[in-house]
Amino acid sequence: MSANDTMDPADDGNLIAAEYVLGVLGAAERREVELRLAQEPALASEVAFWEERLAGLTDAVAPVAPPQAAWSRIETAIGTAPRPPSVWQSLTFWRSFAIASATLAAASIAALVYIGLVPNAPAPLMATLSGSAGQPNFVATVTATGNTLVIVPAALLTNDPRAYELWLIPSGETRPRSLGLVQPGQPIRLDIPSDLAGRVTPDATLAVSLEPPGGSPTGLPTGPVVAAGKFSNL
Amino acid sequence: MDAEASRSQLAAALARVAAGDRAALRMVYQDTSAKLFGVCLRILNDKSEAEDVLQDVYVTVWRKAASFDPGRASPITWLVAIARNRAIDRLRASAVSRRMEPIEAADAVSDPAPVAAERVELAQQHQRLARCLEELEARHSAALRAAFLDGATYEELAQRMSVPLGTMKSWIRRGLLKLRACLEG
Repeated sequence: MSANDTMDPADDGNLIAAEYVLGVLGAAERREVELRLAQEPALASEVAFWEERLAGLTDAVAPVAPPQAAWSRIETAIGTAPRPPSVWQSLTFWRSFAIASATLAAASIAALVYIGLVPNAPAPLMATLSGSAGQPNFVATVTATGNTLVIVPAALLTNDPRAYELWLIPSGETRPRSLGLVQPGQPIRLDIPSDLAGRVTPDATLAVSLEPPGGSPTGLPTGPVVAAGKFSNL
Repeated sequence: MDAEASRSQLAAALARVAAGDRAALRMVYQDTSAKLFGVCLRILNDKSEAEDVLQDVYVTVWRKAASFDPGRASPITWLVAIARNRAIDRLRASAVSRRMEPIEAADAVSDPAPVAAERVELAQQHQRLARCLEELEARHSAALRAAFLDGATYEELAQRMSVPLGTMKSWIRRGLLKLRACLEG
């Protein structure tokens, strides 16, 4: 083999992410990389780099419409897929209340009492915002007057230095509207902007994303969604 | 719609999927299933296997949408990665007919796919990739393309280009190192 065809074996370690994304590894090596990805953020960003940069190669592949039946198979499959359990049946929910500080628990009760104080009010709206593992991270309620929202952290989230921004995605729409920043450690009351007040309805979605300090610079979520849930009548 | 808006719309649909919104999953499916099915079909070279994987991909999207981080990846990159990973895993697990046709270096010089005006920003990144691939030796970039699009292992690539395994590993790794330097530069 000519010198031109050999290379320093020390380089191999740096290329495992690229080889994984490229798709040249065997099944066992792929599992190894995937196990490491969960533990090694540097490797995960290398994989993200190559995924983003090489994705353009798929432009050369002609799109092919899948058969009509494909969607109904997916619908059937997700119909039986486990979803996060209802908050009141969730052990995690009660457990998280047990580990949350007394202040938080008291504040949650205060929020419920506060709603109860308005006589003859329509049924208030509530949303449980769950994380990816199905654990409830926030509980939000809209006051009976419809223009104030109380959001209470249900579980203690990790100590992420980023800001938590709350978004409303009105029913039937795709564009999230910012409702402001929330605190992972304390309940907070937010005024619902008047142009959005009518759109806080059952089936509207609330989501919390991680953003740079001060909130998203673009007016749309830029970081991961750590909790999301739909409104329903309490 | 410009690239930023279409990206935001897909990201927002994924946020709704994370909240358990089936209609949002349907929107994501309508926007992306033809692309992902094409990608799976290219890797698996078998329609029914590709259909199985496509189902698996959207069920995964349904379950994992909350882990999508728009700050780290564009929504389409995230979806393509899920589809490629599932298809490659299926390819490794099954003995379906592997692509074994020879890879000709000349084949690799393909015209970039025509890009719609609204995807200019994405297109710029793709043009950069195309430029960087052109700087590589023709047989190295042909091997890289075949690896990515067909999900071929080193062994399969070596066979298809009629070179020893060690040579193929060198080609791919040298190609990747040069490509990284070019893409980062």
